Amino acid sequence: MSEGKQGKPCQLHPQSMCPAFGSLRILSRIEGSHPVMATDTGCLYGLTFVTHFYGARKSILAAHLGTDELMSGEVVESTIAAIEVAAKEPDCKLIPVVSLCVAETAGMPEEMLPKKMGDAEVVLVRVPAYAIHSHPEAKDIALAALLRRLGDESRPRDNKTVALVGEVFPADPLAIDALLRKMGVEATITLPGRSLHDLRRARSVGAVAPLHPFYKETSALFRSWNVPVVGGAPVGATGTYAWLKSIGTLLGLDPKLVEEVASEERATAEAIMQANPLEGKVFVTGYEGTETAYARLLVEAGAVVPYISTSIGSEPLTLPDESWLRARGTQEVVYRKSLEEDVAALDKYQPDLVLGTTPFASIAKERGIPAMYFTNQLASRPFFLSGGMAATLGFIKQTLDRGSRYQWMQDFFSDEDKEETAPVEPSHA
Amino acid sequence: MPNVIRDLADTSSYWAAVWSMCAMPDVHVICDAPIGCFNLVATAIPDYTDAVPHIENITPSVIREEEVGGTGTGPAVQRTYEGLRDEGLLEGKHLIVVSTAESEMIGSDLSDLVTKLQPGTTFFHSESLTDDEWRGRDRVMQWLWENYGADKADGIDVEPGLVNIIGPTYGCFNAPSDLHEIRRTIEAVGGRVNMVYPYESMLGNTANLAKAQVNIVLHQEYGYTLAETLGQPWLYAPIGMQATTEFVLKLGELLGTTEQAKAFIKQEKRTTLQAVWDLWRGPQGDWFSTATVGISATKTYAEGLKAYLGDELGMPIDFVASRPGGMGNEEVRQRIHKKAPAFLYGSINERIYLSEAGAKQTAFMPAAFPGAVVCRAVGTPYMGYRGTVYIIQEIVNRLYDTLFNFLPVDEAYNRVRNGVANNGAATNGIEIGNMPWQSEAKALLDEALENVPYLSRISASRELQFKVESYAHQQGVEEVTPEIAAAALGLPERSQ
Repeated sequence: MSEGKQGKPCQLHPQSMCPAFGSLRILSRIEGSHPVMATDTGCLYGLTFVTHFYGARKSILAAHLGTDELMSGEVVESTIAAIEVAAKEPDCKLIPVVSLCVAETAGMPEEMLPKKMGDAEVVLVRVPAYAIHSHPEAKDIALAALLRRLGDESRPRDNKTVALVGEVFPADPLAIDALLRKMGVEATITLPGRSLHDLRRARSVGAVAPLHPFYKETSALFRSWNVPVVGGAPVGATGTYAWLKSIGTLLGLDPKLVEEVASEERATAEAIMQANPLEGKVFVTGYEGTETAYARLLVEAGAVVPYISTSIGSEPLTLPDESWLRARGTQEVVYRKSLEEDVAALDKYQPDLVLGTTPFASIAKERGIPAMYFTNQLASRPFFLSGGMAATLGFIKQTLDRGSRYQWMQDFFSDEDKEETAPVEPSHA
Repeated sequence: MPNVIRDLADTSSYWAAVWSMCAMPDVHVICDAPIGCFNLVATAIPDYTDAVPHIENITPSVIREEEVGGTGTGPAVQRTYEGLRDEGLLEGKHLIVVSTAESEMIGSDLSDLVTKLQPGTTFFHSESLTDDEWRGRDRVMQWLWENYGADKADGIDVEPGLVNIIGPTYGCFNAPSDLHEIRRTIEAVGGRVNMVYPYESMLGNTANLAKAQVNIVLHQEYGYTLAETLGQPWLYAPIGMQATTEFVLKLGELLGTTEQAKAFIKQEKRTTLQAVWDLWRGPQGDWFSTATVGISATKTYAEGLKAYLGDELGMPIDFVASRPGGMGNEEVRQRIHKKAPAFLYGSINERIYLSEAGAKQTAFMPAAFPGAVVCRAVGTPYMGYRGTVYIIQEIVNRLYDTLFNFLPVDEAYNRVRNGVANNGAATNGIEIGNMPWQSEAKALLDEALENVPYLSRISASRELQFKVESYAHQQGVEEVTPEIAAAALGLPERSQ
């Protein structure tokens, strides 16, 4: 890939899952939630498809929006018809209306939608791909929309509770909860989750801890409720120690106890890393918005991470990790990345392992470099605290050790003349 | 009352255009699209429909707020073109700019712009706000012929014995196997395959479609307009023994190879089809008359499976939802919730309805997209004679699964797994399985069993009996009354 005028590769293929999917995924997983989509059929087909693969086994309703409805201003009328059908599902308590590109372009006035239908709250979530740009950020928008509507003002503040924000491996919040309780925290709730009740009571927590750096609107909303926001995340030895201490301070917990728990956890993490140090050059190039946190863990464990890229934009919440990484050898952190930037970095740094998007991971594998789809393999594994760290590092180490497999496959397939896009190695008449 | 869509099964004509055009390696498509419409069609979905990591010869204009808000998409497409050109990605490629629902929504017509890009660049208005993928594929193939083939086809003569296969494109269920079997069939009848369009073709060679003596349209949903335009006789690809036999004879007649066609049928009956004959004569065939089938798929597969399973093998067909058109997912869902068939051919949508209904006794068989399923092996055809064998083999193997699942396993292993010390702890020492039943309660049990596929009823009856008796035991009664049975089975309350 050649480089453009400013020495930067030409950005042709931006890398993100359809942004709207981030919202649909979390909205479809809530018990009693029946999303209604307002969009065109191509978009609807694709998003329903990925929801049925990654979201929930849930039937997805949509307004019929053809040329007639879009051009004659019947977007709301069609959407209400779908809301009425959704409200008849058993125990339907929430109907998120996911408004996408064509509906947003045609106009979806919120005041014309009902606030309730039957027993269900109707909540509008606006996530047109032309304005959102990445799917992690759409998760934030959807979560903030739900909290804004459902957050219960009347509940008294529970000063010793923490809301953890971020889609994480199910065992991670259990481990975090157990550790926080040792420090004197009384309860935690994890958002976005499967429970509507958690969304209602989230407003009364003593602190909110975004585990991922793209929960910008959600964090702003908690701040507007006078709930303090915990910076950083319980990742690696130093990150976890700092995070636990900062929770202790924000919640006014017993400093001695907090220090005891935090330093014990740090010691456990350090012992794990010393027992199993990583060696090798790793790229963290997914599109989940959590890449810098993973990179941080790998660097602490001994890996070299010269290049990191992600789909989200650069925000204040991403800066601490970025500075930390740049101080420890990371050369480039690319936000809103394109495939071309990733490929240019592959040429430049020659990594031993790539944790990337599917197109980029496949390009790395074509070169015999161990590579995997970050979303499927990393984002779905324990990651936080020492326990999560052990699981993730063990997996990374195992993959680095499997390098010869990737080399063998590449050698085996490289003696063929391959057409550029050959579905079944056809002859191309 | 406006229409409401449930689990949309057919995508838009924009997808059809991309999935048809990008199958040809000498094409590059600029889709006039926001990031999502690019990601879904080029990466996220073909990962799971076609098992390709991503489609490489497509680049988005990346519509953002400024394009929607006023500038239009012209400058973005121009920029994308220049980037591709500067990177050398357009060398030897035919560049096609394709509209999307969003670019159509903001009225972006790039017919003029494309004349200023690389010579020969064309604009395809995909009609994505109105047309589904099937109309889309039909239209795009005709458009490709008109724009890249028709003019150059004037001097091309028909060559006897040559046959085109029109279809598949990306995103067509089971295409590699079905294509393979249809190719085998054509060759066995004495034809030679000229082009497989667009799947194995170069756009630059489109005019060569005119060489074929006969055209085979692989799927009934699209390709017929191109076949009509080419002017030579054409046939749809067959599913089932009768349809395949008719297809072979007709193709032989068109190619002037009737004797070879007849000999092929005779030979297949002794070889490939012997498996169908053996299973029919064996004990396996006896199950067919009681194993019900539901089908929800595109017309090609829905009607093909109905003809083969229903008319030829005599399996009772519960319902057929044929797309596009047909009964629609709302009705399919209601039918599955009410009573699920023993076999359900469909997409992931039907699979979700089975999950909602808790219909664990139904064997789900993939027969359509959407849904993640790898169909890249060439040994799993639904079409042709080999298709009849594969379909019947899968059915019988699923029947074997059902039989296996209702053989009893010693309960002790279950108790060990769940850390329960002994038999008594599970039931408080009371023998579940021997309670007296009032006759109206027994009638309710029979009614509940009616909703279970026939072959599964033996095990289901035992399971339901235990469920009711456990519930009766919990309620502290010693006899099963209709009220107890109705409550345990989740049946509506009965008036006394």
